[in-house]
Amino acid sequence: MSICQDLGLNFQQRMGANISQLERDIGSEQFPPNEHYFGLVNFGNTCYSNSVLQALYFCRPFREKVLEYKAKNKRTKETLLTCLADLFYSIATQKKKVGSIAPKKFIARLRKEKEEFDNYMQQDAHEFLNFLINHINEIILAERNQSTLKLQKPSGEGVTCNGTVPQNTEPTWVHEIFQGTLTSETRCLNCETVSSKDEHFFDLQVDVGQNTSITHCLKCFSDTETLCNDNKFKCDNCSSYQEAQKRMRVKKLPLILALHLKRFKYMEQYNRHIKVSHRVVFPLELRLFNTSDDAVNPDRLYDLVAVVVHCGSGPNRGHYISIVKSHGFWLLFDDDMVDKIDASAIEDFYGLTSDIQKSSETGYILFYQSRDASC
Amino acid sequence: MSSMMRKKTQVSFVIRDEEERRHKNGISSLQLDPIQGRLYSAGRDGIIRVWHTGAGTQDRYIQSMEHHTDWVNDIVLCCGGKNLISASSDTTVKVWNAPKGFCMSTLRTHKDYVRTLAYAKDKEQVASAGLDRAIFLWDVNTLTALTASNNTVTTSSLVGNKESIYSLAMNPPGTILVSGSTEKVLRVWDPRNCSRLMKLKGHADNVKALVVSRDGSQCVSGSSDGTIKLWSLSQQRCVSTIRVHSEAVWALLATENFTHIISGGRDRLVIITELRNPNNFMIVCEETAPILKMCFTADQQGVWVSTSDSDIRCWKLPPHNSLISDMYNQNSYNTNNVYQTQPLYNIPGGRAIRNYTVLNDKRHILTKDTANHVMLYDVLKACKVEDLGEVDYDEEVKKRFKMVYVPNWFNVDLKTGMLTIHLGQDETDCLSAWVSAKEAGLTTENDQKVNFGALLLQALLEHWNHPNRVNEAGQKVIGNNFFSVPLHTPLIFSEVGGRTLYRLQVIDAGGETEGNLLMETVPSWVVDVAIEMAAPKLNKLPFYLLPHSSCQSKQDRQKKDRLVANDFIQCRKVAEHVVEKIVGGGDVNGASASGGKPTTNEDSGNDAPEERVELLCCDQVLDPNMDLRTVRHFIWKSNVEFTLHYRVLKQ
Repeated sequence: MSICQDLGLNFQQRMGANISQLERDIGSEQFPPNEHYFGLVNFGNTCYSNSVLQALYFCRPFREKVLEYKAKNKRTKETLLTCLADLFYSIATQKKKVGSIAPKKFIARLRKEKEEFDNYMQQDAHEFLNFLINHINEIILAERNQSTLKLQKPSGEGVTCNGTVPQNTEPTWVHEIFQGTLTSETRCLNCETVSSKDEHFFDLQVDVGQNTSITHCLKCFSDTETLCNDNKFKCDNCSSYQEAQKRMRVKKLPLILALHLKRFKYMEQYNRHIKVSHRVVFPLELRLFNTSDDAVNPDRLYDLVAVVVHCGSGPNRGHYISIVKSHGFWLLFDDDMVDKIDASAIEDFYGLTSDIQKSSETGYILFYQSRDASC
Repeated sequence: MSSMMRKKTQVSFVIRDEEERRHKNGISSLQLDPIQGRLYSAGRDGIIRVWHTGAGTQDRYIQSMEHHTDWVNDIVLCCGGKNLISASSDTTVKVWNAPKGFCMSTLRTHKDYVRTLAYAKDKEQVASAGLDRAIFLWDVNTLTALTASNNTVTTSSLVGNKESIYSLAMNPPGTILVSGSTEKVLRVWDPRNCSRLMKLKGHADNVKALVVSRDGSQCVSGSSDGTIKLWSLSQQRCVSTIRVHSEAVWALLATENFTHIISGGRDRLVIITELRNPNNFMIVCEETAPILKMCFTADQQGVWVSTSDSDIRCWKLPPHNSLISDMYNQNSYNTNNVYQTQPLYNIPGGRAIRNYTVLNDKRHILTKDTANHVMLYDVLKACKVEDLGEVDYDEEVKKRFKMVYVPNWFNVDLKTGMLTIHLGQDETDCLSAWVSAKEAGLTTENDQKVNFGALLLQALLEHWNHPNRVNEAGQKVIGNNFFSVPLHTPLIFSEVGGRTLYRLQVIDAGGETEGNLLMETVPSWVVDVAIEMAAPKLNKLPFYLLPHSSCQSKQDRQKKDRLVANDFIQCRKVAEHVVEKIVGGGDVNGASASGGKPTTNEDSGNDAPEERVELLCCDQVLDPNMDLRTVRHFIWKSNVEFTLHYRVLKQ
């Protein structure tokens, strides 16, 4: 008995009070095997990156694909994807269960790839997420096309006359995880013909209202917009400009649905962006009601798995943290610090009911994972 | 009319025949003059036509009433057939002398498309409404008394609509006015004192058809939700909902005693229904296209029907006691239940242009119409060149491909089913097309350069008696020296993307009133080029000129030279410049100071410049006849850092 207690004390002394607290909160029996909870060191306002990386790590399908990439990739060239894969691999293969890591290589490569991030200023977490997902996708496509070229005959068959390689348009694993399809339906008010146009998305940009829910905000996302006055619709059937009603609906729901709450608005009267801290409730379980009639999987049920939270009073000021769900319980990642939290604590991040307070901690990017793991 | 326009004024014209005896597009409204036996039809080609309604199969065409520049959406015949009021997407309401067919006055109170009119016959009062959400009430007798000097009219407006209005109805005594809109709610007023009476909720979509009973106690509405509703205005509620159509209902007629409703819409069926017993209904006929409007024949035994096709047909109505009460077996799609398949009369319509391709010479247009006929038009001369018949449109376009680039100086608009050409909004756009007069077939002599926009404006305004039409030599200059446009060509001045300001035929510009109106309307840059014959600016095209890498010697290696030339300069001229300035010794920099316009050099000998020097772009040897803008567009394919290379040929 006393030996165990002694070991326990030693453990505490060696690790540092914060981290061992986490293991204790989780409980050594309940600590998921093969799971690691590592904070990320902040290099000077890099919390915009840290928070998003943590959220992505805990989107299991994404993590698994990144680790798979690491295992299969034989290339020596360093890209943002290889740095991400190295970082995820490093976390996943740590000897210790908890701790912190400095994502030096990743940040260095990020600063090389995107000029706007090449400084010590605070950046927007959603802009970073958008850049990262698209950039990874481009890398995968480029590497895929290179392989296609290598598989061609030496005579160069397969290359078109102006030197381009016919693109393989099959979806990448990034598409398979994050890509959904929106359909924009426009009905001419004169001939009443409905024309549809599909667009793909990696995340949805949602306007926020005061004292609302994400479900309500998503319904508003699909509100009917009237094209009229100087902004009439050019109807092909009528060969002329007519009034029209347009609305966006979701045609294909992605495996992981990323929702970006538009909390930074440009206010003309102040000539700058301000933060909108409106209280927007987001549930642990989500179903979408703004799906199109021909939607592929309209009844898809989602579970909340991660939230990137913005703390502060304005854009490019303040701090980002993330909360993630792992094996049934919730964790809060604040750069290198990791704490276990109660699910009820999520309510603290809904936002403010009044605008009196200047600073707030608000849900900014929500990650919902489909309960059926298939695409 | 104010000459202080906030928006730019655009010049447009229509390429068409002098007489267009048939509708060229759908027909939105019909009015019957039972005494004269005339049918008036409002066309989406902007023209109101008048037809004989008697028996027989003769050509029924009487005349065209032309003044609108966009769809005519509704018409009302008033004063026992003496006057016609029309409402258009050109935002105007016009008052016409119906028997003679000319426009008496134009009302400009609306700010957006005017979609609908209502008529209170007993009072000779008309109401107009549209997408600007405004309803205006007009006293017809006041309207018809307007003259050029006595041209103000007061109107009352009914306020309250929150969304675009698509339908209006009044009862003959003018005690009730109902409006239908995208708000789905019917709004009811008393037009005598402009008071709001009630709102009627129930429809699930836009309301595009309305009728009010004579005594104003009932109203019937047709909606895009596919239903017809009977409303009691005294009880302020919906009495019944009739579901005989499978798609939107766009047209309604009620019998005089309000016992039966005749309806038509997107499902192309005309249906007659007994109002108090909607189980009794019958499909009168099936049309070829969605039904836009209907009106009774003089004896009320038939209906004239207009659709989004251009024909007008007259159909017989079944006797009221023959309507079948067999709702569960009635199938709207079962054509065995159609009362008739052949109309009593048919007024055939014409064809609308639905596709166009502007050829690379930016002068000719190939079009395809609703009957798949392909035509070739000449924009410069505002006329049709050839009717190619039912040939393959895409093949014809391919056949006529020429590797030539001319800047865009006009836009094409097919809203009326005819070619409306909108000239570029200002000097930069409209006057950007400089071409060789010889290549355009305008002259066989010297190789002068002409400007398409300038030539056309000069021709369009040829008949305008402007005081400044005198050149330096003191002579009166009329038009351009090459061609005229057809005298009947409609010339239109409008706000860019908006309201029509003035419309007249080219020949009319000679009149005094017209001339004065033109003074107020025509923008000054147009006057400069069309009347004062000012030469438009030339387009300058900057480019880099370098020796080609294949023949570069140490001496030739010079830094990139940036030159500027007129965009229509041929490669031959650039070769000349190279011969003169580079091969013949001398400073390339000296040449660029003169703007790249090379002067002829007698010393260069008898050889053509292209025999001494070759020009290349993207490693392609260039045809000396090709002009710079064409090279830049087709070979360089970018507007940035346009670069040419030269190569001295062995001599």
